[in-house]
Amino acid sequence: MKHEEQHIQLTVPADAHYVDIVRLTLYGIATKWGFSYEEIEDMKVAVAEACNNAVLHAYKDREPGKVEVTFSGAEGECIRISVKDEGASFDFDHRGGQPEALHNKSLKDIRAGGLGIYMMQALMDDVQVITDSGTEVILTKFLQRNGEMA
Amino acid sequence: MNREKFYITKQMTPAAITISLNGELDLSAASEMQADLEPYVNQSGRTLILNLRNLHYIDSTGIGILIRMLKQRTAVGGGFKLVEVTPKIKKLFDITGISQYLDLEVAGTPQERKEDIV
Repeated sequence: MKHEEQHIQLTVPADAHYVDIVRLTLYGIATKWGFSYEEIEDMKVAVAEACNNAVLHAYKDREPGKVEVTFSGAEGECIRISVKDEGASFDFDHRGGQPEALHNKSLKDIRAGGLGIYMMQALMDDVQVITDSGTEVILTKFLQRNGEMA
Repeated sequence: MNREKFYITKQMTPAAITISLNGELDLSAASEMQADLEPYVNQSGRTLILNLRNLHYIDSTGIGILIRMLKQRTAVGGGFKLVEVTPKIKKLFDITGISQYLDLEVAGTPQERKEDIV
């Protein structure tokens, strides 16, 4: 049975103390749509990294703003999470091109910058970053169904 | 689901300082944790041990703090070890690549973890 696509919106202040609300909401929605514990744990980290970027970069030296999170998808299919701010566009490309992990570097060369976007890409099936008026990060994960894979 | 404010507890012996991280280490908890741990990070006399058994969540901010601690411990020549790292947290350490720089012990046996998750 195919379920109808749903859209659930949540707007929170661009403040570190509200990122956990986004994680908790994701937990509830992803559980309802059939994702496993492990998949949800991965998505919690990815969505929080997208929110962290908005909290840290979007409204720097500006009036405090908001982060709009939209969860779209259908039960048993996939989830698409849009994390959008209206602050300064975060230049992912300029911040070091391809996001890198820390593998095969010397200790003095490792740094945490850029790990957030790397983790989003590693933990989700697809990550899109749209910078226009503000930044929108769209994270997608498909539901892995047992016995239906080719 | 398990949801609690982040906090640390400390245990000191002549040879080591063990700091247990509890709850969710995210952007909102990062600066507080860094300030709490600062006094111990530059002490080279004892090994600094972080117990991660009750750490339920970490993001890149938390991993960034561990990277800075590791560099500081290396600079002062003090021991630095992570113990009882749960598979969920270890997975993020492996993905980011920080595992290769850390002296870490994974928590429990698979049997124990199963009980813990359920």
